[in-house]
Amino acid sequence: MSHALLIENISKRYAGHTAVDNLSLAVPTGSIYGILGPNGAGKSSTLRMVLNIIVRDEGRVSLLGHDPEADRSILRRVGYLPEERGLYKKMNVRDVIVFFAQLKGVAARDARREADRWIDKMGLGEWRNGKVETLSKGMQQKVQFITTVLHDPDLLVLDEPFSGLDPVNQEVLRDTVLEAKQAGKTVIFSTHGMEQAEQLCEYVCIIASGRKVLDGSLREIRRANLGNRYTIEFDHPCEAADRWVRGSRAFIWAERDGDGDGWRVELQPGTDTRDVLKALADLDVPLTRFARVQPSLHEIFVQRVGEAAIAHRRPETAHV
Amino acid sequence: MSETLVILKREFLERVRTKSFVISTLLFPLFMAAMLLLPAQSGGGGGDRDLVLVDEAPAGVGDYLITTLSTPASEDAPSYRIERVPGRMEEVRDELARRVQAREIDGYIYLPPDILDRNEVVYRARNIANFDVLRDIRRAASQGVQAARLMREGLNLGQVMALVRPVDMQTARITSRGEEGGDADSTFAVAFVVAFLIYFMLIFYGMNVMRSVLEEKTSRIAEVLVSSVDATRLMLGKIVGVACVALFQVGIWAVFVAIALSQSDLITRRFGVPPEAFSAMRVDPWVGASLLTFFLLGFFLYAALYAALGAAVTSEQEAQQLQVVVLLPLIVPIMLMTRIAGEPLGTLATVLGMVPFSSPLSMPFRMAATSIPTAQVVGSLLLLAATALFVTWIAGKIYRVGILSTGKRPTLREVGHWMRAA
Repeated sequence: MSHALLIENISKRYAGHTAVDNLSLAVPTGSIYGILGPNGAGKSSTLRMVLNIIVRDEGRVSLLGHDPEADRSILRRVGYLPEERGLYKKMNVRDVIVFFAQLKGVAARDARREADRWIDKMGLGEWRNGKVETLSKGMQQKVQFITTVLHDPDLLVLDEPFSGLDPVNQEVLRDTVLEAKQAGKTVIFSTHGMEQAEQLCEYVCIIASGRKVLDGSLREIRRANLGNRYTIEFDHPCEAADRWVRGSRAFIWAERDGDGDGWRVELQPGTDTRDVLKALADLDVPLTRFARVQPSLHEIFVQRVGEAAIAHRRPETAHV
Repeated sequence: MSETLVILKREFLERVRTKSFVISTLLFPLFMAAMLLLPAQSGGGGGDRDLVLVDEAPAGVGDYLITTLSTPASEDAPSYRIERVPGRMEEVRDELARRVQAREIDGYIYLPPDILDRNEVVYRARNIANFDVLRDIRRAASQGVQAARLMREGLNLGQVMALVRPVDMQTARITSRGEEGGDADSTFAVAFVVAFLIYFMLIFYGMNVMRSVLEEKTSRIAEVLVSSVDATRLMLGKIVGVACVALFQVGIWAVFVAIALSQSDLITRRFGVPPEAFSAMRVDPWVGASLLTFFLLGFFLYAALYAALGAAVTSEQEAQQLQVVVLLPLIVPIMLMTRIAGEPLGTLATVLGMVPFSSPLSMPFRMAATSIPTAQVVGSLLLLAATALFVTWIAGKIYRVGILSTGKRPTLREVGHWMRAA
C-alpha cells in the first residue's frame, strides 16, 4: 500500500510545552484520513509541520514521497485549508482565486478558466467581480475552499474544515471531499467533531496532548473497541422481566433505554451471550430485540482520550 | 512564474489600482505647480499697499522715501502707492486712524521733524506682520535719512542718489562640473523638496509594507501563503513589489518634470515663473542616479524594518505606537536640515551622511545643496547597502516567526528568541 503521507516520530516543542510528542502515522494514498483530538491536542501543529509552515524539531516527514523541508516544490501538489481562514478583503473574488492558484504554479490563463468554473460550481457567479469583503462569511469560506482545490492537488489537507460552516455548506464540502476521493486524491482533515469523521473517514488517528492514542481503519478500530454493551427490548412492558434484568448477575449494570421501552446493559466479561439469551427466552414476555451496541466514534474517543484530557484549550502561543 | 513574482505582481497591481494611488500621484505635481505658479501669479508677491505719508522731516527725506518705495526691488516685492497728506501729525492722526479702520488705506508712515537726529520712523498699519513691508519701509526711510544727512553736508540730491545706490546680489552654485544656474533660493527649495519627498515616500511606502504584513498576519492569510512560499521570499516579493509602486510613481513625476522643463520657456512667458526655478530642476545625471540609489536602498532598509514591525505587533494601533522607534533616525536629519544645508560639508552633515539610517535623507539633502566628494557618496552607499542587507536578513527572521504567531504582543525578549530560532 503506498502512502500519500508518512510521518515518523515527529516532535514539536515550544518554550513551555510539547505540542507534538513523537508522533507517527501513515496515510494511505487515495483515502480519506481523519486526525481527531480534543482542542489543543496538537492537530494543527502536526499539519503545519507536514506543510513545512513550522519547522519540526525532530522526526521524518514524507509527503507524496518527498520531504517538504528539503523540497518545497512538492507543496505545489498539496491544497491546504487552514483552521483560521482569511482572504484579501479588498481584492475581487476572481483575482484572489487566481492569485492563490498562481502561487501554486498554475499558469494565469488556466487559473482564470478554472476560477470561473469553480465560481459557477459553487454558485458564486454573481459575486465574481465583487470584493471579498462584500461576501457573507459562508461565501468567503467557499472562496477559500476554491483556493484550496483549484490547482488540482493530489493531497488535500483540511484543518477543521467543518467548523463554522452552516449545514448546507457542510454538505457542499462533504460532496467535494468525496468527489476528490473518487478522483483518486487523498484527503486529510482534522476535526474534533466525531460525526463528520464517522461519515467520511476510512482511517482515523486519535491524538491527545500531542501523543497518538490510536490509529487505523475505522472499521478495525470499531471492531477492536466493540465492548460488551447490548440492548434488550421486550414486546410489551412486563414487571417480571424488568425485575429479572435488574437482578441478573450477568450484567455489570443495566439501565432504562432512552424512551423507556427497553434496557441497555453491559455484560460481565466472559459471559456467554447464549446463556443470557436462554434466560431471556424463559421470561414470560416475548423478546423483540437483543443486540450488541456498536460504540460510536465519540464513545471510543471519550473512553480512550479520557475526560481528563478534554481540558480547555491552551492559549495559542508563538509558533517557532 | 515564480512565487516571488506572483507576490510582487499582486502587491504592485493591488496598489496601483487604488484611488489613493491615482490621487497622490496627481496631487503632488499639482502641489508643486501651485508652489511655482502662485507667487508668480499673485502679481509681485506681497500685493499692493496704499499708504499715507505724513512728512515733517527736512526737505528730501520724504521725496527720497517715495521714490524708493515706488520702484519695487524685485518682482516678488510688494508695490506701494504713497499719498502725501499735508498738516502736522497731531492734526491728522485721528483722521488717518479712521481711514485705516475704514480700510481706505493700509496704514501711514510718519517722518518726524527731528528724524535726522532721533533716527526713528513711525509706521502704523492694520497689519504689521509682513516682514517684506517692514523691511522696505525701513530701508527707504534709512536711505532717505542718509541722503538728507549727506545733503546737510553739502552734496546735492543727484550726487547722493548716485552714491547710495544699493548693490544687487547675484548667486549661483559652483559644482564639480563648473558653475551652474540656480540661485540660492531655488537650490535650497529643490534640496528641501527632494529630501522631504524621500522622507514622505520612505514613511508612506514603509507603512504600506507594514499594513500589508499586518493584514496577512491578522487575517491569517500568511499561513496559506507560507504553505506555498518560503517566508523570506514572501517578504522580498512584498518589499520589491511596493518598491516598484514607488518607482512607478516617481517615474510618472519625472515625466511631469520633463514636460515642464521642455516647456519652460512657455511657462516662463505665460505664468512668469522665474527661469532659475527650472535650471534648479535640471539635476545632474550622476546626482540623479545617486539620489535614486539612496532612495531605493533607504527604502529597502526601512521597508524591512517596517515588515518586521508589522510581523511583531498584533494590531495597527500597536504598530503606530512603535513606529517612532523606526522613524527616529529619519526625523533627526529633518530636524537638523537647516544646519546640514548651511554647512553641507561640515562634520555634522558628513556624519549624518555616512550613518546608514540617516544617510538616505541627509545625503540627498547635502548633494542638492553642494557637490559632495565622490568617495563619500560611494562610501555612504556601500555602507547603506550592507546595512540594508543585514537588516533585511534580521527582519526576515522576525517576519518568518511573527506572521504566524497570534495572541498577545510578543515581548522584546521573545522577539530576540525568534531571531535566534529562525
